[in-house]
Amino acid sequence: MLALAALGGYAFTHLRVSGDLRAFLPAPRTPLQGLLLHELGRGAGARTLFLALRTPDAAQAAALSTALRAALAGDGRIATVQNGAGGPGRIAPGLLPYRYLLAPTLDTHRFDAAYLHAQLRQRLDDLGSPGAGLLKPLLPADPTLETLKLAQAWAPRQAPPLRHGVWYADGAALLLVETHAAGFDPDAQARVLDSIRAAYARLPGHARATLQISGPGYFGVVLQALTRGTAERLGLVSALGLLALLLVSYRSLRAVSLAALPLLSAAAAGAAVLALVFGRVHGLTLAFGVTLLGVAQEYPLRLLSHRGADADPRATARRLGPVLLLAMASTAVAYLAFFAAGAAGLSQLALFTLTGILAAGLTTRFLLPALLPATARDTATPVLARLDAALSRLPHPRRLALLLAAAALAALVLVRAPLWQNDLAMLTPVPLPLLQQEARLRHALGAPDVRHLLVIEGDTAQQVLARSMQVAARFAPLLREGRLGSLLLPSTYLPPVAVQRARQARLPDAAQLRSALDDALRGLPYRAGVFAPFLRDVHAARHLPPLTPQAFERTPLGGLLRALLIRRDRRWFGLGLMGGVRDPAALAAAAAAAAPAGSVRLVDLKTESEAWVAGYRARILRALAAAAVLLALLVALGLRRAAPTLRVLAAVLLAQLLTLAALRLLAGPLNLFHLVALLLAAGLGLHYALFFERARSADDAERLRTLHATLVCAASTLLAFGVYALAPLPVLRALGMTVALGIAANLLAALLLAWPRRLPPC
Amino acid sequence: MASLARPAPARTAFTEVRFVGLLTRPLVLRGEMAWLGGTRLQRRVLTPAPELTEIDGDSATLQRGRGRPQRFPLDRAPELKDLAASFVALLSGNAAALQRVFVVHAYGDARAWTLDLTPRDAQVAQRIRAVSIDGAGRAMRCMRVDSRDGDTAFTLLGALGGVVLPADPTPAGLATLCAGGR
Repeated sequence: MLALAALGGYAFTHLRVSGDLRAFLPAPRTPLQGLLLHELGRGAGARTLFLALRTPDAAQAAALSTALRAALAGDGRIATVQNGAGGPGRIAPGLLPYRYLLAPTLDTHRFDAAYLHAQLRQRLDDLGSPGAGLLKPLLPADPTLETLKLAQAWAPRQAPPLRHGVWYADGAALLLVETHAAGFDPDAQARVLDSIRAAYARLPGHARATLQISGPGYFGVVLQALTRGTAERLGLVSALGLLALLLVSYRSLRAVSLAALPLLSAAAAGAAVLALVFGRVHGLTLAFGVTLLGVAQEYPLRLLSHRGADADPRATARRLGPVLLLAMASTAVAYLAFFAAGAAGLSQLALFTLTGILAAGLTTRFLLPALLPATARDTATPVLARLDAALSRLPHPRRLALLLAAAALAALVLVRAPLWQNDLAMLTPVPLPLLQQEARLRHALGAPDVRHLLVIEGDTAQQVLARSMQVAARFAPLLREGRLGSLLLPSTYLPPVAVQRARQARLPDAAQLRSALDDALRGLPYRAGVFAPFLRDVHAARHLPPLTPQAFERTPLGGLLRALLIRRDRRWFGLGLMGGVRDPAALAAAAAAAAPAGSVRLVDLKTESEAWVAGYRARILRALAAAAVLLALLVALGLRRAAPTLRVLAAVLLAQLLTLAALRLLAGPLNLFHLVALLLAAGLGLHYALFFERARSADDAERLRTLHATLVCAASTLLAFGVYALAPLPVLRALGMTVALGIAANLLAALLLAWPRRLPPC
Repeated sequence: MASLARPAPARTAFTEVRFVGLLTRPLVLRGEMAWLGGTRLQRRVLTPAPELTEIDGDSATLQRGRGRPQRFPLDRAPELKDLAASFVALLSGNAAALQRVFVVHAYGDARAWTLDLTPRDAQVAQRIRAVSIDGAGRAMRCMRVDSRDGDTAFTLLGALGGVVLPADPTPAGLATLCAGGR
């Protein structure tokens, strides 16, 4: 008992619970998958929240938007806040000196007298045009308008319209908030949401508009609240139900209380091992794990049911020892399949449950018998005897089993729905209205397409930037022809150092520029000396060290480049964000034409994630096949004779057929969680058949006790898992429904095929 | 002000004289201004270089020479939006629309009048210090825009639209011309 408390204490103090849902996605197999998984959580897209301040009064919305942006600017959890104010037309002061190195003008022109003259003439027209007020301040330092070219290239192509100086569309002022925390870190995201809501609530006049938040981080928070709430609510229901069931079954509060001991020791030992090995554990692992350990609850229940008239519980434990060992081993094999799934969260789950089963088994075999009260009510009651008789009168159980198998096969053949569900999004239980709201906001804000992505790979950052320049040139015709709406590349912000040096080399020296400018100004009415800042800046630009990604990332625009130029596994990746994708085939062809082959790819995230899930499933299917063979071997080894082995395996096989058919009828396409749960149910169902086989050679009372134990076990497992079939989360529901159906099917199959019928009275 | 109202389309020749600090002599542009009804305003420059601007509410289209027309939102140039709105308000005789955008101070008589306008929007006021419009009877004669950066633009309209300017126009001379010797 002390050891148990110590284990629990250790786990409690050392185990950190994380909320990163990616732990339940399959582990990446290629650097590209790794990148995508990373982007999914830590990419700028995943860290962006969309805010809408909804009110028909645009002026009020603008005032709130401006105030909220100011309020959030000082928040350490928030990287940037954009609301449309102070956007294009201005570039960060730190980048201003670099404009001649960053803009492409010098690739095709030289600052000679002819070019400058043409430019200055155009500026004269500009000064007479309605928009002159915007250009005037730029001219003395930047007569060729490089800053404007850069600002245009960097501006989001489809930004929402401005009203009163801020983004305002569809009756709401819009803001983009980039958080520091990963999108799939619900705890951190929840803190950001809290501080945004608190900042908004402090604004004067906030009641005149409503604040809407959306985005991946927000979904994570909603999802976690949903999971937590569901698990707590359903957990309470199933715990109360279990308690009632056990009290009715055993009529002893002490025995029922002590029966919780194996489960408690299982949870404590499992958590302690996780703390030791992983240090941190996903919240869902614990929730699933504790649920799965419901299996271990069978062990003490068997002990209680089989005690019968034994004076000493230790004798019962000794009698049950071999079959208990076989049950533990088969469950362990079933749970081992989680390791093969290849997701970190599922590996943790496997370790947790394996440890737990071992602890529960040992506790049941050695600790519990010493503590149980010396006397107990025999569970072989007349009610059970009547049930046993009814079962024995059941006509032709084997023919019935064959009929059921045929019906299940027919159902499997006839159900037309696709067999597999590959769409990862179908596992995302984000309520549909929230997804629709996000899609609207994303569209209004001109945020890039979430499905297509260009990925540029290289050995160094400079190589990726150079390839990115080539991609920009290759995709320019597609942009012109309208087959692509917009394309943001790493080189959009930062050309490679070599290109910057080439541009630098084309800048004239001070004397050359002065004389070119003097020639260019001949006949134009510019005041003498107006362009002195231009001469000074060009001279400075000639001697600047080229801008590196590291230096660029220290500027206020650094976040933009950091999102597009990523180092991973000692490789460099550039991302091209695309908007308005109308011809994916043409884009893929343009990407494939890049040299060297394979360095640029058009990634369709949907296809990619589906291929990924299909690969994941293939691995699980192989693990399942291996587990099935191992289970059969274990059974044969445990039972040592052919007939009982065949009966047990036939029962398990029939149960799987029935479960699969019921699932196909109820759930349609199957996902990974169905498969894993199916395996679990098979391991559990195996127990029933094994105990039934054991009863074949026992006396009448022991047969009835076996029936009692099996019914109580099945009922308690149904209670523990069945409630999750009601959960709104697809993951929990798939698990709960499959196991519940599986238990029912396994019990039925075991009764039909393995239950030793009493010989009819002559 | 209702007396200014006239049916669309209303067209008038204009001469614009801009005194820009960067330049040694003022820019002089000549062309035709037209109100096409609703919030649509057209400004066609004929000399020195052909340029066509159409402003419609929140956006503008600019075409130079034979180049492609370019459309841009007026988000970044709120003063342009307000000026266009005031112009439309005057042509359509909508005093309320004018007063929404500017604080209006009117003086003079029906024969010769002046409207002094001060921008209400803080963002616009950062660019434009004051606007004043001179008129005679039912016609606008002149619009003067003083920018914060010290530059001044005169737009001569109607009877003054085709006026012959002195070789070296000055702000004072143009102000006198606008006042009509008043």
